Amino acid sequence: MATVIAAPSAPGGPEGSVVEVIGRPDQHRKRMARLGWMFTTPALIFIGAVTLFPIGFAVLLSFENVNVTGSGFQLNGLTTANYSLVFGNSTWHYALAFTLGFTFVTVVIELVLGTMIALVLERLTRGRGWMMALLLIPWSLITVISAKLWAYIYDPTFGIADSILHGLGLGDPTILGTNAGAIIGMIIAEVWKTTPFVAIIVLAGLVMLPQEIYEAADVDGASGWTTFWRVTFPLLRPTLALAVLFRVLQAFGLFDLPFVLTQGGPGHATTSLAVLGYDAMFQNLEFGPGSAVATTTALLVVMGCMLFLKVFKAQVGEEDL
Amino acid sequence: MSAVTASIRNLADRRVAIAGLAAAFVAGVFALVSGGSTASAAKSPMATAPGNATSGTITWWASPISTSGPDVRKVWIAAFEKAYPHIKVTLISAPTDTDTNRATLTTQISGGAGPDVFMGDVIWPAQFGAHQLALPLSKYEPASYWSTFAPGLVAGATYKGQVYGAPLFEDQGFLYYRKDLLAKDHLAVPTTWEQLQTEAKEIQSKGQTKYGYVFEGADYEGATCDFMEFLTDAGGAVLNSTGTKSALTANGGALEALTFERELVSSGVSPTAESTFQEPQAMTAFQDGQAAFLRNWDYAYATSNASGSDVIGKVGVAPLPTFQGHSYPGYSNIGGWNLYVNPHSKNIAADLTFIKWMTGVQAQTIQATQFSQIPTITSVRDEAKVIKSNAVLAVVPKTRLVPRPAQTPDYPAVSQAIYQNVSAVISGQSSPKAALSNMNSGVNTALGGGGL
Repeated sequence: MATVIAAPSAPGGPEGSVVEVIGRPDQHRKRMARLGWMFTTPALIFIGAVTLFPIGFAVLLSFENVNVTGSGFQLNGLTTANYSLVFGNSTWHYALAFTLGFTFVTVVIELVLGTMIALVLERLTRGRGWMMALLLIPWSLITVISAKLWAYIYDPTFGIADSILHGLGLGDPTILGTNAGAIIGMIIAEVWKTTPFVAIIVLAGLVMLPQEIYEAADVDGASGWTTFWRVTFPLLRPTLALAVLFRVLQAFGLFDLPFVLTQGGPGHATTSLAVLGYDAMFQNLEFGPGSAVATTTALLVVMGCMLFLKVFKAQVGEEDL
Repeated sequence: MSAVTASIRNLADRRVAIAGLAAAFVAGVFALVSGGSTASAAKSPMATAPGNATSGTITWWASPISTSGPDVRKVWIAAFEKAYPHIKVTLISAPTDTDTNRATLTTQISGGAGPDVFMGDVIWPAQFGAHQLALPLSKYEPASYWSTFAPGLVAGATYKGQVYGAPLFEDQGFLYYRKDLLAKDHLAVPTTWEQLQTEAKEIQSKGQTKYGYVFEGADYEGATCDFMEFLTDAGGAVLNSTGTKSALTANGGALEALTFERELVSSGVSPTAESTFQEPQAMTAFQDGQAAFLRNWDYAYATSNASGSDVIGKVGVAPLPTFQGHSYPGYSNIGGWNLYVNPHSKNIAADLTFIKWMTGVQAQTIQATQFSQIPTITSVRDEAKVIKSNAVLAVVPKTRLVPRPAQTPDYPAVSQAIYQNVSAVISGQSSPKAALSNMNSGVNTALGGGGL
């Protein structure tokens, strides 16, 4: 039916049949597309309901003068006051710097350690499966549980970390009681948990590298060090970019670890953007400013994501050449 | 109901106004979602004046109170259902962390759901009242009911002339001491903080305990409680008389309090880990025999005499000391829990029956005699039989109380400004002077609604 309508509308008499020939697969594609939309609509509505709606609502709240009441949100008019409050707030400045710094430091350490572990694992001939299973334990633990475990380790009265440091003659440092101690303690807990993830991704990349290049490098008399920097590392770059992308996105949403381990303290020392937003919204019932924190954080993550995808694409493009 | 739908409609209009924020189909979803919650939010609290219901079902939200032995909540419910066989009470165990507890409740109630009756902290009335997250109980109960409570408790549950919570059990700070060590060293129970420090040092120097004094100094609400006591002892206050501005720098009290808290750690009387101590850590140090003195709530007496403790029978309890030059005793911060009613509750009459029974003679006697909790009604509190069975209760009449400045709905942010700086002083990261200046500006920012 569709072809009948399409054919006469095509300009020019003699070319009409040509158009019809080309038009048929076009119509077919359109029909298939419509069918496709029909099939995906329920899923899209579902995704919209659980993803787009909350995001849109949070953005809306961030521009509203919100009052939380027993009967829901009371919106008292559009305002940009939430954003000026957030941008002028010294705790937000700190949380932003802390989140960025924490992300950078942990991702760099995880990348270095993860690559080293992957290189070792690749060479392991026996027990690789066992080693990988062991490695994945920290990664597979729920963060709330692993954070609780670290809280026991760092406990100033009966924790093992204190007793080890004491045994080394370093006095009785209260790890989670000082700014630097709490930040370092959290970095260790985070690195312990997520390095295996990086290691597994890098290992997958390593396994896929063509063996001939290594043989060629060997024939050319390249040392192990040179081989790594001149052969392995360039070939691994897309894999590493992927690992960085995943890790950065995740690290930016840092919430469960500080929530359980330090509650953002001491003072504001380990207050990430997510913890700050939570406190504002659910402790102080300041949903306007809290949503502004969430929205700006989301925006930063999206920007970071796009930047990395661009870099990632460039890396893959290089690979194709 | 109309207010709710109006605000939802309002909301929908605004959403459309900010076109481009969400895809068009979100509007449909939005209508669905909000339409679903309207029904539950529809109940108007003032529509009916409940009398004394004798039937129905109630959900009761309460965090665990007793940590060992029988569960006081279940003992209460069993006794209540015996008295009112046609009212069924279902217990919902709430998170033990008071902040998580509150966050969960506010989310549920503002979403139009939540338990019928909830046990909430004494510092909640202003925030819950200001945001209509709890019913004003004074609209249902006459003055004669409120006068059954010990003085000060109802005032603490009042916000803008309305009482939001019925006091269930009271709590306050006490000084726990090792009576065996004090007797051995011929020392008296300290009446000043300076005396406590000297005696603690003596006990420590003899190797009888590792630490002198343990209290709550971590970066959380408990540090505010302990600071309130030091502050009031030193003649200071957090807010001015109208509650509109910080009074922390009005006199030297706050600086004296902070300086002393730091000195406790720097002199070695309190452990360096003090800045991470909440109640459980302080309690553990004391019941393991590692500390000579402890500041804690009423439960500490029962806990230090329970199996697993190394100091059973060696513990004495007294009012907290004060600073030299001030009259004994020092101030004890008020804690404890109230019963609140959810504005969305379908059976307010039954809720009130439950609350009245829980704050009546039978329930209050159960908690006082079997669970060493401080009852809230005077009739049970003054009864000789009850006092005899509860060592902590015998000390209560000798103590002086100070509430936290929770009359402002911004109290959570005010308290954060206090405890974060107190904890920083105790850990030695901030000087008392710098921390005080931070605390002062933090409290003022919070009161001005400028906090996050």
